Amino acid sequence: MKRFLTALLLTAAPLLAYGKEVLPFIDNDYPKALAQAKKKNVPLFVDAWAMW
Amino acid sequence: MRAFVFTDTSLARHAGQFVWLAVDIDDAANSQFLVKFPVTGTPTLMVIDPKNESLALRYLGAASVPQLEELLHDGAALVRGKQLSGADEALQRADRLENANQSRQAAEAYEEAIAAAPRKWSRSGRAAETLIAALRHARDYERCASRAVDLYPQVAGTASGAAVADRGLTCALRLADEQKPHPDLTAALTKAVRAEIQNPKNGLIDGDRAALYLSLIAERRRAHDDAATQSLREELAAFLEQKAAAAQTPAQRASYDFYRARVYRDLGQPEKSIPMLEQTERDFPNDYVPPLWLSRAYSAVREYDEALSASDRALARVSGAGRTMVLDLRSDLYAARGDKAMATQTLRDAIAFSESLPPGQHDQSTIDMLKKKLDKM
Repeated sequence: MKRFLTALLLTAAPLLAYGKEVLPFIDNDYPKALAQAKKKNVPLFVDAWAMW
Repeated sequence: MRAFVFTDTSLARHAGQFVWLAVDIDDAANSQFLVKFPVTGTPTLMVIDPKNESLALRYLGAASVPQLEELLHDGAALVRGKQLSGADEALQRADRLENANQSRQAAEAYEEAIAAAPRKWSRSGRAAETLIAALRHARDYERCASRAVDLYPQVAGTASGAAVADRGLTCALRLADEQKPHPDLTAALTKAVRAEIQNPKNGLIDGDRAALYLSLIAERRRAHDDAATQSLREELAAFLEQKAAAAQTPAQRASYDFYRARVYRDLGQPEKSIPMLEQTERDFPNDYVPPLWLSRAYSAVREYDEALSASDRALARVSGAGRTMVLDLRSDLYAARGDKAMATQTLRDAIAFSESLPPGQHDQSTIDMLKKKLDKM
């Protein structure tokens, strides 16, 4: 959580959760994404982000 | 990255090569994921092998489109089980150690990777910047700054070079804060950061270029050079205004809000950030971040009723771990208004909420920091 608070004063950029994405991201559902990756036999790419 | 990189149509050709997962680190639904794959900063990009849920690659920081394509290429190769060179094996081991929060050991593995690297190794930039990040994470600030100076010439003029210089300068400034200044390291890294700001060919995304400015400003501020500090802030404000004016979408324009709000606050002109934040709140009425920043801006111009109203809206919209931040700022707002009782109670609420967060989002250092703040009230 320190990262959340220090971000206010330091250098983290706000990354707002919008914008038309070209890549079909699954939001906040690791089990679903993992199951799909296993089924398709492709790697899982993760973007761990924060709204602020 | 969401406003500029993931929207780049040239990435469409990769859509079927991966399953794509966005993890909001504030969202309680992700706490188990975050236990398994801890995140110390955002964005953190990962490639995971779904067969055994092992980490193939980890990258801290925003990536430009070419950088992202390199990560995708490398990550896919690692998951396919491509025969690894010594350098590649060490790099992957380092990423996994960093993921396990073993930054000192990770730094050693990154050093192994760099030492074993063949000429023109395509991962040299990533290895250098992740080494410096690991040393900073391990709070080995002296080695962080000195290795950044060593490595910078090899990666100068690239986004990795900018990251090495910037992270190294952060470490050099921490050394000064700890009364162990290294003026030579600070000067060399300041020069490197300045060179990367002025280099249009290094492929930096705008947010990272703004972060470089903030590092330079921090360095001049510590040197008590008020004129240069002010001049750099004005330069940053002009850069951000130009970029925001050229934005193609509301999301792109909003991506500059944080830096614009901060630089106007530091310039003593917080009122300048109010119209843009109001615009962003209109564009994205469900997000808690625009009213959160607005509450700070209104507070800075002593319009406390407006500030509290904005804080109310942020509080109504936030869910998950971000609530701690909203409550902490709300406490500051009450304190600025002179309402010590509400400031204290709200800070207590922030601590209680923070303590209630699930594993993966529970952060003792934040709780300690809030408690320290409470003690001083």
